[in-house]
Amino acid sequence: MKRKGLKGLMLLMIALMLTLSACGGGGKSGGDNSSSNSPAGSGSSASPSGNAEKTGEAKKLGIMWWGPDARHEATLKALEIYTKQHPSITFTPDYMAWDGYWQKLPALAASKTVPDVLQMDAAYIQDYAAKGVLEDLSDLDLSGIVDPSVLENLKIGGKLYGIPLSQNAQGIAFNKPALEAAGIKLPQKNWTWDDYFAFAREARAKLPKGKYGIGDSTNLWDWYNWYQTANGAKPLMSDNGKTFTLDKDLFMKYHTTFEQLRKEQAVPPADKSLSFVPNDPNADPMATGIVMTGGATTGSVAALYSMMPDQIDVVGVPTGVAGGGWAQSTIFLSVSANSENKEEAKAFLKWFITDPEAGQALKMTRGIPINPAIYKTLEPTMEPKDLLGKKVYDMALEKALPFYPIAQGFTEWVDTYKSTMEGVMFGKTSIEDAYEKLNELGQQIAAKNP
Amino acid sequence: MTLIRPRWSSHLFLTVFSLIMIYPVIWWVGASLKPLDEMRLPAIWPSAPMWSNYSEGWNFSAQYSFTHFFANTLLMEIGNVFGGVVTAALVAYGFARVNFKLRGMWFAILLLTMMLPTQVTIIPQYILYNSIGLVDSYVPLVLPHFFGGGAFFVFLIVQFIRGIPRDLDEAATIDGSSVYGIFLRIVFPLIKPALVTVAIFTFVWSWDDFFAQILYLSSVEKFTVALALRMFIDQFEIQWGQLLAMSLLSVLPSVVLFFLAQKHFVEGIATTGLKG
Amino acid sequence: MAYKERNLAGYLFISPWLLGFLLLTLWPIAQSFYLSFTDYSMLADPVWTGMDNYRKIFSGDDVFQKSLTVTFTFVLVSVPLKLFFSLMVAMLLAKNLRGMNFYRTMIYFPSLIGGSIAVSVLWRNMFGADGYINGILAWFGIEGTGWISNPDTSLGTLILLGTWQFGSTMVIFLAGLKQIPQELYEASAVDGAGRIRKFFHITLPMLSPVMFFNLVLGIINSFQMFTAAFIITKGGPVQSTYMYAMFLYEKAFKHFQMGYASALAWILLVIVAALTALNFLASRYWVFYETEGGRDR
Repeated sequence: MKRKGLKGLMLLMIALMLTLSACGGGGKSGGDNSSSNSPAGSGSSASPSGNAEKTGEAKKLGIMWWGPDARHEATLKALEIYTKQHPSITFTPDYMAWDGYWQKLPALAASKTVPDVLQMDAAYIQDYAAKGVLEDLSDLDLSGIVDPSVLENLKIGGKLYGIPLSQNAQGIAFNKPALEAAGIKLPQKNWTWDDYFAFAREARAKLPKGKYGIGDSTNLWDWYNWYQTANGAKPLMSDNGKTFTLDKDLFMKYHTTFEQLRKEQAVPPADKSLSFVPNDPNADPMATGIVMTGGATTGSVAALYSMMPDQIDVVGVPTGVAGGGWAQSTIFLSVSANSENKEEAKAFLKWFITDPEAGQALKMTRGIPINPAIYKTLEPTMEPKDLLGKKVYDMALEKALPFYPIAQGFTEWVDTYKSTMEGVMFGKTSIEDAYEKLNELGQQIAAKNP
Repeated sequence: MTLIRPRWSSHLFLTVFSLIMIYPVIWWVGASLKPLDEMRLPAIWPSAPMWSNYSEGWNFSAQYSFTHFFANTLLMEIGNVFGGVVTAALVAYGFARVNFKLRGMWFAILLLTMMLPTQVTIIPQYILYNSIGLVDSYVPLVLPHFFGGGAFFVFLIVQFIRGIPRDLDEAATIDGSSVYGIFLRIVFPLIKPALVTVAIFTFVWSWDDFFAQILYLSSVEKFTVALALRMFIDQFEIQWGQLLAMSLLSVLPSVVLFFLAQKHFVEGIATTGLKG
Repeated sequence: MAYKERNLAGYLFISPWLLGFLLLTLWPIAQSFYLSFTDYSMLADPVWTGMDNYRKIFSGDDVFQKSLTVTFTFVLVSVPLKLFFSLMVAMLLAKNLRGMNFYRTMIYFPSLIGGSIAVSVLWRNMFGADGYINGILAWFGIEGTGWISNPDTSLGTLILLGTWQFGSTMVIFLAGLKQIPQELYEASAVDGAGRIRKFFHITLPMLSPVMFFNLVLGIINSFQMFTAAFIITKGGPVQSTYMYAMFLYEKAFKHFQMGYASALAWILLVIVAALTALNFLASRYWVFYETEGGRDR
């Protein structure tokens, strides 16, 4: 009896072991061909194939990007073209959507396995560059492809950490038929912040209850930053995050105006404002028909367009004495500082924005191509949503100020801005107290930045 | 006579209660059939059901269809459930019924491992798996289930085993059974409801475990359903109809599993009789 | 059984877990403990800073205090609510009725969509400013609010969501109920016991190990509640749903302060471990184990 039990148990254990090792084996074969930074390269150079010419040596580049499915398909096609043109280079693509991308990248950075080439966004590039994850690309010759002043503008601490892929700009989208029906004067090019607030009040007077001309942007730090810079003050974060400027007069004026607008019901009440979810057809402020205007970029306006086709028109961000809004690339390709194939990666980067065949494959999947030559060839094929994106750019260009990204270490401040100003919206915090709190935290972070 | 009335009221109550619980899901079915511009309307059912949300969603990627992603996930789940059920039962029996040295200490450690948020261990764990070359494989996702299936399940079964009368063990010991024999022939069958519970939870929870899956699986070829679903949600562009349709389909395996498995924990031990 | 033989058997049984712990779990845990004494962005190597993180947390991180308050409130309300509700439902679903399989599946369904992205869409449709709840309230002439986006009610809706998804707790109760020997009920029926007496004298004591499990795990999991806050409220508005795990996650993956986040995690571990230890001590007075008779510990 005793033995019988033990034997059964042993059998069970053996079964377990077998399943485990089967799993392990299956996984390993998968692991090998994809870990681009594993010493597979050095292993093969020690093997008989050591006499391979230097130029023709087979290299496998890891490349990672985020995006919607159309971008995935187009990029895979472009990679295929590259391999056709350069048979020695093959790719290990790794692609996903936005959220997952930024969750995964820290793990890759921590384990020093960031792929050779990676897509970067203006919101994150500062942190990744500051921590040494990205390679300096200043020596890449892009003359005749990208305007040198554009490149200069993108440099972080004098170095270029990503080559720009597309033109992006900030604008304001508005619901044209609804505004026309209510007899409200449509927003005009280069309108000012005063026009903007007057527009909100006019809309209040002419729209039925529960509909609004503008949304409440009290809790959006970038809106306030546009206001502060449009009025000639320094941006909130400057000097690579070492200087912090929160102009008290402008801050008080901006937020008192919104407080007033909330009282006049010219913007939605706080609980309504915070229940909006952009790009969700059920909760988007514009798609639900509740708010007539909303922020939109060249990159994001297509999503809005798909929810309310043929109803959208665009205008620039309100301006002030210094200008307003921004027009700049916010999406980049970078090279990992740990890459063992830096030269190959850089060559690929340049190809990516210059090769006509690549341009045809990639189309508008990353926005309006930065390279004017490529853009020209694509212009005739543009769809209405692309044209709208282009219009955002054209509207912004004349008065555009630089793009001010979140400087390194400042994501915490941005989050604090949001929650503090939400307190103001609900009347739980005074504007004065909010100023003190935000200014103190901002100065602290700036002082800590190297 | 007295039997009939409570049955009636029970049915009525259960029907109403089920409907309340399931109402959002009914809304979900309707929404998954709506075109984008109808989604904001309060009507629960679309004017013309858009079945293409399902057909196009299923084949959204030119390379792989959801058939592939479902197959991947189910394969992974087989490993997870098998590993979880068997090893959790073994480990739990050890803790519940065998009095070995340092048992208390190990059990405390087992519980402690549940209390540290995974957010801070996931990066070191990734580095560990990366250093042994197991990244971009299912191993980091499946392997932990073979090591006791997680503290939650071990503790769960321990509690169930402790609810089983000791006289059964003693009777078996007198009959000449070893601890191993008692485990296999007496305890293992008796904790069937708990094991089925473990199987269901393992299945449901690992189906959804997006964070671990996005870290450990890189090639789209290996993607699970949870990862494929996230492909619908980019920064600005969200394929709502397809997303709602496919995520509805993605919960179906769990629903079917639950429906089929429940009779096993419903039978319980009530019918087997107790006196050994 | 001989002492030696017992040790061998014990370690053999727990070996799957022990092996996994030593090979896979121990190092990451130790690592996170070490990292809690460093400044670690994940993007660059950690820098030793001694007690700095802990000092900063305890001396004036008001977000720490805020999120701890939110989390304690959540645990205190949601754990008892969920336990009570799921036990009631489990008792209901334990009956042998025709079609019970079907009811059980329907009622369990909401718990299956737990972390699904769809749940945020669903929840907004129920509790949003234009959601169904407000639609129903409007019939009675009550003007609702955006329940999720109002700082006074947002935590409440998350608690409700947690209760709506009571399924896993309920299933464990159900399995526990079904394990109670039917003979006990029959015997007490012979003694003339009513329903209420049966519940207090048989069901509750026999169910106490499972109840204890659900209580302990309910507390542990609620302290780490993350998904709903992350996908539905993002911790807002005005940080009213800024759960501790959410705070920790953002510190680590959004602000790139993994060292600080690790310190937060270890503080949470101490809090939860202390509460669990208390629970175990208290369990001596109310949890009934069959094992007790043969006391061999």
